[in-house]
Amino acid sequence: MSVVPAQQSGGAGGTSGLYDVLELVLDRGLVIDAFVRVSLVGIEILKVDVRVVVASVDTYLRFAEACNRLDLEAGPHRSPGLPDLVGEITEGGAEHGARGKTKGALSGAAQAVSDAIHRTPGEGESRGRGTAASRRKKEETE
Amino acid sequence: MSTYVYCITRSGDAGPLPEDLTGVGDPPLPVRQLEQDGLTAVVSDCPGRLRPKRRDLLAHQRVLTEVGRKSAALPMRFGSIAEADDDVRDVLREHADSYRQKLQQLDGRVEYNIKAVHQQEAVLHHVLARNADLRARAEANRRAGGGTYEERLQFGELVAAAVRECETEDAEAVRRALEPAAEGVRVGPESTGWFVNLSFLVTQADAERLLTAVRRLTDELPHLELRVNGPLPPYSFTDA
Repeated sequence: MSVVPAQQSGGAGGTSGLYDVLELVLDRGLVIDAFVRVSLVGIEILKVDVRVVVASVDTYLRFAEACNRLDLEAGPHRSPGLPDLVGEITEGGAEHGARGKTKGALSGAAQAVSDAIHRTPGEGESRGRGTAASRRKKEETE
Repeated sequence: MSTYVYCITRSGDAGPLPEDLTGVGDPPLPVRQLEQDGLTAVVSDCPGRLRPKRRDLLAHQRVLTEVGRKSAALPMRFGSIAEADDDVRDVLREHADSYRQKLQQLDGRVEYNIKAVHQQEAVLHHVLARNADLRARAEANRRAGGGTYEERLQFGELVAAAVRECETEDAEAVRRALEPAAEGVRVGPESTGWFVNLSFLVTQADAERLLTAVRRLTDELPHLELRVNGPLPPYSFTDA
């Protein structure tokens, strides 16, 4: 669990904030029929995959692999023991042991996106973690 | 020369723009105001070949934020271009009543956008913890040294279904927890990047209430990662 702090500055200054609201700038806001809109053809800004579930053979194998690595008895971060854990969930409580430490592949993907956005023109190729989609996006948004 | 439109405000609300405020274009073009029927459009010249580049997207956002700091502003979608200043004035004249009404509804309000993703390891642990059958399969696979390709595939598919079910439940939980703190809610564009994308309209005074609800929610659902962005111009509420 983590909460990205709200950008009290209004989010105008940094490009990191831009990625998170890109789809709002491009897809929301008032549209007036009498005005022309700039073409967005070819933009794939929204195709950045940091979500856990995307149904594919790769995902299934990745999940199986990740589950094999999970220590179900001890819990991944603390040691509540499985019976305790199940009990807590049944009671509607929260399993705090998992907080904040389990980013792994997901935050890696998010970081790649953030790298792509932060990269300034002429800085050279990305650092090898960007997906094809994020590289495309990077090119489009520069 | 065509005219790029950033937002619409009520004349007199915003006062003069900061002198150094610039908009889209390279070099960035100066921003100016067009007044008509008590409304003011914040505009600049439009560069010859405008594309949604990072620099220009940021410029658009910067102008909206700057103007919105002092007055209610109706944000235009990025890339709204009129043929000339007079066409902007025509639009203001024609729709003055409707714009004034929207500006009144948005006065003193900001948008917070909240996205949620699952953290992989935590959500897998979460779904296994509450599903005995999946746990048994995981154990069996592990004892068999990971299981055959077929077994892993089948198991992974079941886990994916369980995670998706968890997404549906958590999406509902997020909305339920945060909706009461806001005046309005809009569902944001879908993407594979997140499974919750909601925008909330709040008065500036109520923003803390929303953020408190966010903090409570993340305590309750520790396998969620919530990304909060705001205060933003009310992009998602211009149809209010």
